[in-house]
Amino acid sequence: MTLIGPLVLAAFLFCVGLYGVMARRNAVLVLISVELMLNAVNINLVAFQNLVWTGDADATGQVFALFVIVVAAAEVGVGLAIVFNMFRNRASINIDDADLMRW
Amino acid sequence: MEFLTDNLVTVTLLVPLVGAIVVGLLTESDDSARWVALGASVLALVSSLWLLVGFDPAAGTQAVDSLAWIPTLGSSLTLGVDGISLVLVLLTTFLMPLIVVAAWDHGDRIKGYLAAFLALEAAVIGVFTAQDLLVFYVFFEFTLVPMYFIIGIWGGANRRYAAVKFFLYTLLGGLTMLAAILYLYTAGGATSFAYPDLLQAATSLSLVEQRWLFLAFFVGFAVKVPLFPVHTWLPDAHTEAPTAGSVFLAAIMLKMGGYGFIRYCLTLFPDASRELSLGTGSGFFAVPWMLVLAVIGILYGALVALVQPDIKKLVAYSSVSHMGFVVLGIFALNSTATSAGVVQMVNHGLSTGALFLLIGFLYDRRHTREISAFGGLAKQVPVYAGFFLLVVLSSLALPGLNGFVGEFPVLLGTFQEVPWAAVLGSFGAVLAALYLLWAYQRMFHGPLVGAANESTTDLTAREIGVMVPLVVLIVAIGVYPQPLYDLVEPAVDTVLVGVTQ
Amino acid sequence: MAIDFGAIAPELVLTATAILVLMVDLVLTDQAKQLANPLSAIGALVALGFTLPLWGDERSTFGGSFVVNDYAVVFKVVFLVSLLAILGISWRYFAESRFFQGEYYFLLLVSFLGMLIMPSARDLLLLFIALETVSLPGFVMAGLRKRDLYSSEAAIKFFLIGVLSVALMLFGISMMYGFTGTTSLSGIAQALGQWGASPPPLLLASLLLIIVGFGFKISAVPFHFWAPDTYAGSPIPVAAMLAVASKTAGFAGLIAVTFIAFEPFAGVWAPALGVLAILTMTLGNLVAMQQRDMVRLLAWSSVAQAGYMLIPFGLAVTGNAEVNEAAVQATIFYIAAYAIPNIGAFGVVVAINRRTGYRSIEDFAGLGGRHPFMAVAMTTFLLSLGGAPPTVGLWAKFAIVQAGAESGTVLAYVLLFFLIVNSVIAFYYYLKVVWVMWMREGREGMAPVTPGVNLSLVTAALVFGTVLLFVLPGLIADTTVSTDLVAGL
Repeated sequence: MTLIGPLVLAAFLFCVGLYGVMARRNAVLVLISVELMLNAVNINLVAFQNLVWTGDADATGQVFALFVIVVAAAEVGVGLAIVFNMFRNRASINIDDADLMRW
Repeated sequence: MEFLTDNLVTVTLLVPLVGAIVVGLLTESDDSARWVALGASVLALVSSLWLLVGFDPAAGTQAVDSLAWIPTLGSSLTLGVDGISLVLVLLTTFLMPLIVVAAWDHGDRIKGYLAAFLALEAAVIGVFTAQDLLVFYVFFEFTLVPMYFIIGIWGGANRRYAAVKFFLYTLLGGLTMLAAILYLYTAGGATSFAYPDLLQAATSLSLVEQRWLFLAFFVGFAVKVPLFPVHTWLPDAHTEAPTAGSVFLAAIMLKMGGYGFIRYCLTLFPDASRELSLGTGSGFFAVPWMLVLAVIGILYGALVALVQPDIKKLVAYSSVSHMGFVVLGIFALNSTATSAGVVQMVNHGLSTGALFLLIGFLYDRRHTREISAFGGLAKQVPVYAGFFLLVVLSSLALPGLNGFVGEFPVLLGTFQEVPWAAVLGSFGAVLAALYLLWAYQRMFHGPLVGAANESTTDLTAREIGVMVPLVVLIVAIGVYPQPLYDLVEPAVDTVLVGVTQ
Repeated sequence: MAIDFGAIAPELVLTATAILVLMVDLVLTDQAKQLANPLSAIGALVALGFTLPLWGDERSTFGGSFVVNDYAVVFKVVFLVSLLAILGISWRYFAESRFFQGEYYFLLLVSFLGMLIMPSARDLLLLFIALETVSLPGFVMAGLRKRDLYSSEAAIKFFLIGVLSVALMLFGISMMYGFTGTTSLSGIAQALGQWGASPPPLLLASLLLIIVGFGFKISAVPFHFWAPDTYAGSPIPVAAMLAVASKTAGFAGLIAVTFIAFEPFAGVWAPALGVLAILTMTLGNLVAMQQRDMVRLLAWSSVAQAGYMLIPFGLAVTGNAEVNEAAVQATIFYIAAYAIPNIGAFGVVVAINRRTGYRSIEDFAGLGGRHPFMAVAMTTFLLSLGGAPPTVGLWAKFAIVQAGAESGTVLAYVLLFFLIVNSVIAFYYYLKVVWVMWMREGREGMAPVTPGVNLSLVTAALVFGTVLLFVLPGLIADTTVSTDLVAGL
């Protein structure tokens, strides 16, 4: 397997995620977009580990990917709670509605 | 006791500082604040006079106290005096008790007021005696804080603007100076911030470096003096400051600038100083820029003073003019002119301080400073008018009074170096006579009209008590200035030897 | 692989305290819940007790990814002292309003746990974990006032920008791993050194992406958008925590990443961070001038302060250990000197805010007459933030200027120029507050200022510290001077 495939996939996922974060106004969809970016990171890490740095006895890339998965789960947990709380307060999860404070 | 006599400079500095803390800790209702403040300021005076008694003008910097402070930077709390420092310290400690007495009836939060003045006194003494540039810088910056509060809390209607302007102008100058100090320290490879070490470090600077550093120091001091383009904070600060604040500002704090020029600009950067003050270079540096600025200050201040309707503002602009003489003398770089520049700092402190006090006394009675509101007061308040006339004459340099023995040698000495600067400067002296006498005439002569003028009361015993010491010194220095010159001249010569070689 | 438990003892203590607080909170009822505060304070003190003996040691564990040296210890002490101060200003604030006390203290402790790890971490993986341990509780704490619209807005802005920047950073890390095959900072430095003068653009891009992650944490422009809104919407002690401790953690991480791992490419990131420093301080100060709300003023001022702290980064030079050391020390000095007055200023705001809800600058009018102690304290803190005597802030500015003069590059002079101009601008608004406190009369019928006992004590201690460190700056300088970032690698 060549390195180019996974890297292109990761870059594509990352860009889709980044676009989603920029363009989406729905807080949950923004969260999902961030998840896409994190998964791009995981693909990168695992691909580099298995195709480039195969001699790495610590399996750094894969271990890192595991940590990213765990942290991402925690982020989503906290994030959904915050979004949920916002929904209860103002019956909206559109992030443009969070505009009480400017400057 | 021995500790006290061995560390007189430190004691002179610590007494007001401790006084400030004690006054600050008293409760607002406690009446003893005034007495504590007076006691502290008199003690400081005594201790500085003691310093004078043991002082040997020929011995250079003496009475040095040193205490390790920041060993990693090689900075130590080193204080000491030479002739120039000593006269300025004496000026400070002499005026301080008078300021406290003048502020005696100041009802509004007297405790904080006096504490701020005492803290200010300590800081200024620190500036005049520091023998370590870091210590100097810290004291220099510290003077800002109490003065900001004095103007800001106890000042006039427009006090906020004046206080902030004062603070920001001086801060800008101070920070520029700090950058220069640190450059000197690093580029010169100094191992400590002690003045002799930095003097040594400065010898390795190239002319271009000297110019830049001179400029950075110059900005810091020129704001204080104040010199022409950066003087605009002064009229605001003076007009808004309470009487005692104006006195301290004009009589003492402006001298920090002049002192800085002599002590640091001239000695640390001799080549750049010579070039910039006598125009010995080529091209841009063929012009004696410092003298040009001083002359502009003299004439500009005098001309603006001429048209002021407010007597306090008039005196404020006259300060710009008179301090121009000081700067002219300092940068003329010969023994006569530079010593006279230092003496003129003392004279300006005495006469302008006295003028501000008198204006303050009048303002307490009338709550106005418009010259046009007064008239014919000489009949109504003869004692006041007498003091006022004497101080005005001293300020316009009448022979026999102190202003003359400062201003005349400045012009004389400058004439030997750069004749046209002296000629132009002498117009300032003429203008001073014009605006001061004209103001005096409008206020005290002519018919006594208006109920307010007719009911103005003369000076009280306390106020006379404040004025008498000032007037005595004004006359004494005018008649017999030699002791003052004996103190100053050796120190000035030491400075000039480094510059003119 | 033996674990050096002595080296990680402070972290272990804090972990145990956090768990204990969480469990105790289950048992205790209403009023008694506030006991979580002293419990946390004891934990912090014990952790401090375990930290101080580590001074002078050079220990390393977990295969070199966790290092304890003087550099780390200085930061840990700053963190633990900040924690104590924040606990002091938190007590009444949380006990009197119906917040989730137990949860708050638990989250606070966990966040500080992440901070303690940060300066010791010498591996991107550990740095990432530490960063997230600092951030995640922070998101929740910002939104702790659940029914408050401002609080939930603060949380969502903080969260979204936080996770986005972490995602960017992780992508950078994954690329960096691809290029170098390691995540240890020294390993990366070694690998980067081999690229020499012509690194591929992608490598530089991943380097900058990693810096972005920390840029968010320290609220450097243009990653600062969240900061003012989040500070203003959060409970005030949380704002203090974010403005001081969390930012310090960001700097600890940034220093490690830039000065250790990316040191070979200082020519790339130093100018970039220098420009960020200029933008950050200038924008922060200019916007702070416009503020009417005290917390927002402090928030923008703390953005500006981050700019000052970034200045030394702009001075770094590859291979010039002397200049780099001086730069790191200047930053550490500034951070330590800045923590004290800034927590103090937030503490005074808590005191004014307590039982009154006052928080605009106008509400400080006449404070000099109404509560002289708080007014004196606030004046001292503001003077220190500005850098005027008689406060430690003077030396903080001094340290930065000194590092600049020592480096002597053109960029250094540009940075110093902006530092001076910005100091003047900053004083304009600090003095505005001072003026309002001392020179304006309070409104008729203003509620009295009633700070609690421990808040007053903490404020007094911070005032004392601010002035003491002015008189004896050696107390910090002697420590920072001896901190060698790379020692014990």
